Amino acid sequence: MTEADSDIIKPEMLKAYVWLQTSDGSIQQVEQEFAMYCPFICQEIQAGMGSSKNYPISLPPRVNPAMLSLILDYCRFHQVPGRSNKERKSFDEKFVRMDTKRLCELTSAADSLQLKPLVDLTSRALARVIEGKTPEEIREIFHLPDDLTEEEKLEPIKNTMDDPRIRLLNRLYARKRKELKERERLKTAEAEEEHADERSVDDLLSFINGSNEDSRGTRTSKTKKKNRKRKDHHKTAPPNCTSTSNITSCSSNSVNMDKKELDARHSMYSNPLLHGKLLTDVCNATKLLDIEDDGLAAEDEFDDCDLDDDIDPALKEQIDREVEDFARRLNSDWPERMQEILSLGQQRRPLQVTINGNGSLRRFTSLDQRQK
Amino acid sequence: MKQREPTTKVPYNSKNEVDIISNLPGHIIDKILSHLSLRDAVRSSILSNKWRYKWVTLPHLVFDNQSVLVSTQDQTLVKNKLVNIVDHVLLLHAGPIHKFKLSHRDLQGVSDIDRWVLYLSRGSVKEFILEIWKGHRYKLHSSIYSYQKLVHLELFNCLLKPPSNFNGFKSLKSLDLQHITMDQSEFEKIIASCPLLERLTLMNFEGFGLLNIRAPSLLFFDVGGVFEDVSFVGTFNLAVVSIGLYVNNGIERNLGFGTGNLIKFFACLPHIQRLEVQSFFLKYLACGIIPGKLPTPCLDLSYLSIRINFNDMEENMAALCLLRSSPNLQELELLARTEEQNTAFGAPNIVENFPSFSFSQLRLIKIIGISGIKQELNFINFLLLNTPVLEKMTVKPASTDSGWELVKELLRFRRASMFAEIVYLDP
Repeated sequence: MTEADSDIIKPEMLKAYVWLQTSDGSIQQVEQEFAMYCPFICQEIQAGMGSSKNYPISLPPRVNPAMLSLILDYCRFHQVPGRSNKERKSFDEKFVRMDTKRLCELTSAADSLQLKPLVDLTSRALARVIEGKTPEEIREIFHLPDDLTEEEKLEPIKNTMDDPRIRLLNRLYARKRKELKERERLKTAEAEEEHADERSVDDLLSFINGSNEDSRGTRTSKTKKKNRKRKDHHKTAPPNCTSTSNITSCSSNSVNMDKKELDARHSMYSNPLLHGKLLTDVCNATKLLDIEDDGLAAEDEFDDCDLDDDIDPALKEQIDREVEDFARRLNSDWPERMQEILSLGQQRRPLQVTINGNGSLRRFTSLDQRQK
Repeated sequence: MKQREPTTKVPYNSKNEVDIISNLPGHIIDKILSHLSLRDAVRSSILSNKWRYKWVTLPHLVFDNQSVLVSTQDQTLVKNKLVNIVDHVLLLHAGPIHKFKLSHRDLQGVSDIDRWVLYLSRGSVKEFILEIWKGHRYKLHSSIYSYQKLVHLELFNCLLKPPSNFNGFKSLKSLDLQHITMDQSEFEKIIASCPLLERLTLMNFEGFGLLNIRAPSLLFFDVGGVFEDVSFVGTFNLAVVSIGLYVNNGIERNLGFGTGNLIKFFACLPHIQRLEVQSFFLKYLACGIIPGKLPTPCLDLSYLSIRINFNDMEENMAALCLLRSSPNLQELELLARTEEQNTAFGAPNIVENFPSFSFSQLRLIKIIGISGIKQELNFINFLLLNTPVLEKMTVKPASTDSGWELVKELLRFRRASMFAEIVYLDP
């Protein structure tokens, strides 16, 4: 073996081997042509390492023997020329079928060997695990500590850069909280035990409605666009005819929203009538916080002043004005739209219940079917 | 402050269950987040302490139906909700935004988009995609024309009006315009002032009818719409062209010009590799003089797809001219425009009298949508006789009407290639 080692870089040495040492100290001999697929190992070989058992390439600590053997399996398959894309794809698909713990380890190991295609593959697989799951589910799968309190989940955004935009946003959030608090007080807050915060936090992000299948929804919509692009279908209706408006049949299966949230929403949406039109959109904007959590609303210690890092009164006043401006800007729209909002104020209420339904997905798929 | 009940924590924090994913290097977490929809990515902020601010530096922001789900009928409410979400994400986001995509089926071209376009103009957006699926054309805010870092621009249902001091997109490589309105001169200016433009897609445009394409770097051109004329200037690298003319009339006006459209069209396409002639564009090409052969053959052309009316003599001649000028063709697709072919009179059999020539490379032929009329069969016969290396000819009729008769005819034809198989597909 040692004789061959000096010539190791020569391409004609087809069956050359290289010595690798993993984090646990064990050393093994592997085919060089496969190991070379990892840039890290390739660089080490070029630096003259790994040619004998006495000078093994010591792999980064994140590569343990089990991961190394997985990575070599991957390299062995992909190093063989002449495989079709389909074959490679189906290999990759099977390859990442493993528990998430191993998947994380593999991602980490592949990253430390700079094996980019495998890092892409595994991080995509990890994303698929996360996709569409509730935070509670994700925490359980990955054993994430649930170390954020409800308040922290709503805490103002850190303003390390002293970004005025964040300052405005924080003020807006704070004001929102205060209003919510007031309202809650009037309502003689119902039991404030914590309830599934996840769903409401989703709401908070206004990205509600998720069902695990929504990725499918998009894929079909992509197809739709493709169809649209086909020139021989040039009779496709002008874009304004493809409007979904007539299909937006509101799903009524939003029952999974719990009653308390509904109450919160209702009180919020009646807000415009109470607080005047200017606040309408501010409320909408910060809806995320609103509907969030009854426990929070009962908190007393929140105050506007907490949020601005010791600002003098003059500046404070100016910021207040900015907040008003910001609110107005959120609201900036045509006057007739304003009228609409006002007149719809009442009728809108019953519609709120639909926000949490998973009907939207069905709606989009049915739309796509229609278009085909 | 109210703390979480400890009971929920216990099962997940026992010692042997380590939180591996959060300890992955930052760039990997970024990568994982980038594979998620914006909605899932933003939601990650409430997972745990370590995840709180991970998403805010995501360079790609995609607002589409997957990332922003709103289900309500009330248009005002939908609009407000969507607008608020985009406002929020842009406010919370930190760091560069490389890609911004707004394509939500329920969002009309509201004026709120203006301020996002303006806001993004201060950054360094490389990819900008705006698709307005409902309502009227959205007049794009003029600050879009100052995006200097733009590499890919995609617009759907927009009205474009570049300011007079528009200097072009110096880095733009790919431009995709669909259902747009703009002036003739502005269109030409935009195309001409993107020196690196490699891909151009134009579908269903209004406001201009002459496609004067002056783009020296152009490699890929996909167009479909109603236009009067198309001409290329200096597009010597153009390799892939797909072109469809959506109307069957108004082309005749070009008759009487010196050279005829066929010669003119190919003059600036010396390196074309793939060509799709769609809808009625063959009719355009057949206007004016149809030579037996192009002055300069298309030596690089390996794939050709033509939509043709087999009953139209000019179209047949134009197609034959094209075939004869493509000695290295490997794949050919012929799509019949059956809807017009039903006219009772048949064109004379020009194929029979056409000087035969051999396709030395042609291996695959697809013939789709035929009805079994004589002209089609003549054409098939002609192809089979002149393709010595043909491997496969696929024939798919438009309907079952012709049925066995067509199959019988196909069986009878002599084939120059001893390896050729003929595959008959049911309609």
